Amino acid sequence: MGDFFSAVLDIFGSPTMYGSAVRLGGFLAFAALGELVAEKAGTINISVEGSLLAGAFCGALGYHWTGSTGVGLLTGVAGGLVIALIQANMSHRLTADQFVVGLTANVLVLGLAGFFNAIVDPAVRPAAVVAIPGLSDIPLIGPALFGQTWPTYLLYPLIPLTWWLLYRTRWGLEVQAVGENPQASDVSGIDVNKRRRQAIAYGGLLAGLGGAFLVLGQVGSFDTAAVGGRGFIAIAAVYFGGWTLGGTLLGALVFGFADAFRLAVPVLGYQFNAQLLAALPYVLTLVVMVAITKQLRQPAALAQPFVRGLR
Amino acid sequence: MGLPPETTNGAAALELHGMTKRFGNLVACDGVDLVLNRGEIHGILGENGAGKSTLMKMLIGLVLPDEGTIRTDGEPCRIVDPLDAASRGIGMVHQHYSLVDALTVWENVALGERGKLDAEGTRERIRSISKRYGLSVDPDARVRDLTAGVRQRVEIIKCLRHEPQILILDEPTSVLTPAESDHLFEVLREGVIREGWAVALVSHKLDEVLKATDRITIMRDGRVVQQVMTVDADAPSLARAMVGRPVTLRTASAAIGAATAADLAGAADRGYTGRPVLEIAEASARSADGEVLLDRLSLQVFAGEIVGVAGVEGNGQQPLSMLLSSLLPLDAGTVTVDGIPIRSGTAGAMMKAAVAVIPADRHDTGCITEMSVAENLVLTSMDRYTSRGVLRREEITARAIEMIDEFAIHTPGPDIPLGRLSGGNQQRVVLARALSAGPKVLVAVQPTRGLDVGAVEYIGERLQRAAGDGIGVLLVSTDLGEIAALADRILVLFRGSIIGEMKRSELDLERLGLLIGGSTDLGRAS
Amino acid sequence: MTGIDTAPEILPSPAAPHGRWRSARETALLYVLSVFGALAISAVLVAMTGNSWPGVFKALFDGAVLAPGRWGNTLTIAMPMLLVAVGTTVAVRAGLFNIGQEGQLLMGAMLMAVVGTKIEGPGVLLLLGGLALGSVAGGAYAGISAVMRYRRGVPEVISTLLLVFIALQVTGFAVTTDWFLRDTDPTRPQRAQNSAALGPDTHLPVIRVFGNELSLGVVIAVVIAVAVAYLLARTIWGFRFRVLGHNARIAQKIGIAATRNGTLALFISGALAGLAGAVMLASGSSSYRFTPGFSTNIGWQGLLVALVARSRPLVCIPMAIVFAALRTGAGFLASTGVDRKIVDVTQALLVLALLIPPAVVFLRNRRRAIAAVSEAG
Repeated sequence: MGDFFSAVLDIFGSPTMYGSAVRLGGFLAFAALGELVAEKAGTINISVEGSLLAGAFCGALGYHWTGSTGVGLLTGVAGGLVIALIQANMSHRLTADQFVVGLTANVLVLGLAGFFNAIVDPAVRPAAVVAIPGLSDIPLIGPALFGQTWPTYLLYPLIPLTWWLLYRTRWGLEVQAVGENPQASDVSGIDVNKRRRQAIAYGGLLAGLGGAFLVLGQVGSFDTAAVGGRGFIAIAAVYFGGWTLGGTLLGALVFGFADAFRLAVPVLGYQFNAQLLAALPYVLTLVVMVAITKQLRQPAALAQPFVRGLR
Repeated sequence: MGLPPETTNGAAALELHGMTKRFGNLVACDGVDLVLNRGEIHGILGENGAGKSTLMKMLIGLVLPDEGTIRTDGEPCRIVDPLDAASRGIGMVHQHYSLVDALTVWENVALGERGKLDAEGTRERIRSISKRYGLSVDPDARVRDLTAGVRQRVEIIKCLRHEPQILILDEPTSVLTPAESDHLFEVLREGVIREGWAVALVSHKLDEVLKATDRITIMRDGRVVQQVMTVDADAPSLARAMVGRPVTLRTASAAIGAATAADLAGAADRGYTGRPVLEIAEASARSADGEVLLDRLSLQVFAGEIVGVAGVEGNGQQPLSMLLSSLLPLDAGTVTVDGIPIRSGTAGAMMKAAVAVIPADRHDTGCITEMSVAENLVLTSMDRYTSRGVLRREEITARAIEMIDEFAIHTPGPDIPLGRLSGGNQQRVVLARALSAGPKVLVAVQPTRGLDVGAVEYIGERLQRAAGDGIGVLLVSTDLGEIAALADRILVLFRGSIIGEMKRSELDLERLGLLIGGSTDLGRAS
Repeated sequence: MTGIDTAPEILPSPAAPHGRWRSARETALLYVLSVFGALAISAVLVAMTGNSWPGVFKALFDGAVLAPGRWGNTLTIAMPMLLVAVGTTVAVRAGLFNIGQEGQLLMGAMLMAVVGTKIEGPGVLLLLGGLALGSVAGGAYAGISAVMRYRRGVPEVISTLLLVFIALQVTGFAVTTDWFLRDTDPTRPQRAQNSAALGPDTHLPVIRVFGNELSLGVVIAVVIAVAVAYLLARTIWGFRFRVLGHNARIAQKIGIAATRNGTLALFISGALAGLAGAVMLASGSSSYRFTPGFSTNIGWQGLLVALVARSRPLVCIPMAIVFAALRTGAGFLASTGVDRKIVDVTQALLVLALLIPPAVVFLRNRRRAIAAVSEAG
């Protein structure tokens, strides 16, 4: 145990740890940011996993066809959006159960990605690392935040953009309203399900970008196990962020840290059981949720479908 | 019949002709003609189910008419949604369901508009409307922290920000104290005189309509049956027009606001001795957010009496109902049934102690629409129809059929899902279950809300019969008329505690009104 | 009493008998169209790769049913799926969303491996003990989520899923650790990362019928499906679960404690998933060895079966067979040159397709509002 603690201290003092945390948590941050908006509107978007994977594969395809990372990111966004549109329309236009649609969409994407991957086998190269001068010299966290591949930096403007969208625009106000009280929103003249679909679409856009980032900005290759079920952590991050922007990002970061910790341990010469380390991020997420969930207030109409009465 | 001569106040702001709306086989509105004039408060009077709300919803774009024309200022138009109505100068002050608790006042007022979100501009609008009409409210307060009366002010401001010329108010006083109601009518009258509003006041209480309006249209079964100037109208004839027959029963009169003080007073007190069948002592509870739900609430109900708990919505009716449904654990205080203390918040404890609750919202804790009528009828006594774990189907069906007959529930059969029944019949199922379980205490919360006069009479009669059978009845209602008509003893609920009591023989409606507003005889309740 | 509400109620389906028939025909047509659509999209995908889609469908059919011995395989694969699905229906009907079946299944299989390879004793006892312990393990694993939900408010949809990842690591640990489950037989060619094989006397008996072999587990699964259907519909415990699932507040009011009943429902669903794992191992999955990746997505597919069957245990039986058929059929695809993944795609498309008709029907009935007040009075 004492070994464990000294390992922890050692690792938290190493700058590579922070860099890894941002890299490993990055794709989750994209997805969690998008999922936050979807959940503020009162929907739980389990297909975020599918959007991530679709973004990853379409991103790989885009790069494979054009050799441009930028195009790859765009195609990734498109892929994520398509999946989100399936989820949005089936559950908030056709009234199918959103959990079932989400789970199924994930299976569908896994199958399609695997199927097409076997045929096309896209060749991918990771994007260039672009260190931002000055900022990347900040001790400990400088390189981590500002010395990454350039797609990473797309996350930073998205944070204030999402904040502005949610809290400074009419669209965002309506999204919050339909997530808290769809009946009242309906009576005020807002199209509840349309806003919900739009919020889910936003989530899909960001998750698609996150998936493309994963392949093009972090890992540098595509594999159907790329996301590996971790899209769900984005949902967990929104939960234990208490449906606030800061909390959500923190959640994604915590998971990134735990993952980075797992990788840093053997590199720094410590011997720990591999499976225990691999389980660490999930155990940590569970522990945090157990500790804080009771105090959180969720959007009042979360996961409650809305069907308008007769007109 | 026939339209009375126009008043001098001028042009018709809104003309409805032949408005018809059907929901399947139900004709909610049938060829309704109506004229709303500027500078006039027009009362739309009718019992629940007469079609008044549907008519107004057609004006506001929440319901689309099957037939009929609407003319604003002489021009025919189609109103397709609330924003469309607003653009034509029609605004409605809603009863419930129109404010989002988690948002602030200004955010709620801004909701539903189009265009850029302008926080400061909206706050300014709110302040100016507040000042102009005497509706004070803090634009940055969170709606969930506001009382029902203040919430209504927000609803009114939300309506007024579109600067309507035609205002529709649907049963606005149901959530107000008598003092707040009077203030509301003053505001309306001011607006009518100063701005020339055309106001439609929808109500099922004729005393209110007689007090506040200039002209009255009475609807019954979806049709207009009478129109009269308020100065020419009197309560008995209005009552007869509303219901279609002379209204004699006290409960029915009270339901439509036709009961006079003389009607309601009179009966001598029944003496009650011995142990109360229900006793709540110093009950206190807070919500998860720290909001006070019950504040040292104490009351007693004796066997065979009807105790009425009066008060405006939001003062603890829901927590009291939840407490007696085993859904609210107390922080302090006790609940005792027939001398035996019952653990609050323990699943099924109240039910097992023979406390039956007819809740205000049957969909919340009253019945399960996806389960069958039979299952709903025996919901609370299912254990009795079980042998070694297996449900005895035939017995359950037989018992259900008995109850369906006894309570005249209209259903194609006992095994169809409850959701297929009309609202009134679903309510009968809840009532049947509560009364058939052999309760010692019957708690009825807003039992006649939304029901037509016939239903009101039926429920009132059954409650009295229950009391006659020795059951202690606790009637919790925001409708003063209902309480005054039925209760032997009246308690007033204010901010989670009982602040006043009145016996039937000393019934004083004015004092009751003050108590409901929080003014005790010893000054304002804290 | 007329009892008309100010807001009229809606009847969700027509009252007249011939109207019911017509709408039943329309619904059936919707299902046929949806399924056809899903299969058509799959066929298009196959064609896109330059292969023949009739060939693919034939291969699937052969692999699942026609070729000798195949339908026995199909049923044996359907067996754990059915158990998982039936368990899921219990949880869903009680209002709980358990999506951790994959992990619960692994736990059950792991315990079966422990009993079967680490304990000495008569085969039959070991087999029964392993099955029982495997069920308990799966149930307890789901029970963890129940505790987290009822004491700390953590939604089970999240905790059950996180526990899947943890289960994967625990089982990985088990098969790489000598004192736990790793096969320490020195005669094996390489130090394989899996458990020892179950001894032949701890295998589930096999039924031989018409040249097919199927595990006795198939019978067990069907019996359990029928039992759970009966439990839900006809017993007081099923009644309590159903009330809890429809309206937890009413449940509390009438004495159905959410904590006790919800925990029980989650336990049962986890236990059946655990049993599925134990039965899989005892029927020869992975050559009677517990391996990493043992679960091969059976848990996920069982969950999907339950959702497609709309949480009706008896409907799970044919649905599990269909899903299993796709899986065993995929084994014959190699000769067609089409990747096995097409089966996953087809499966997902089928599930989506099956979601569409009920949704359309629901919307159509809301529009076609027929008020119950028509019965007059």
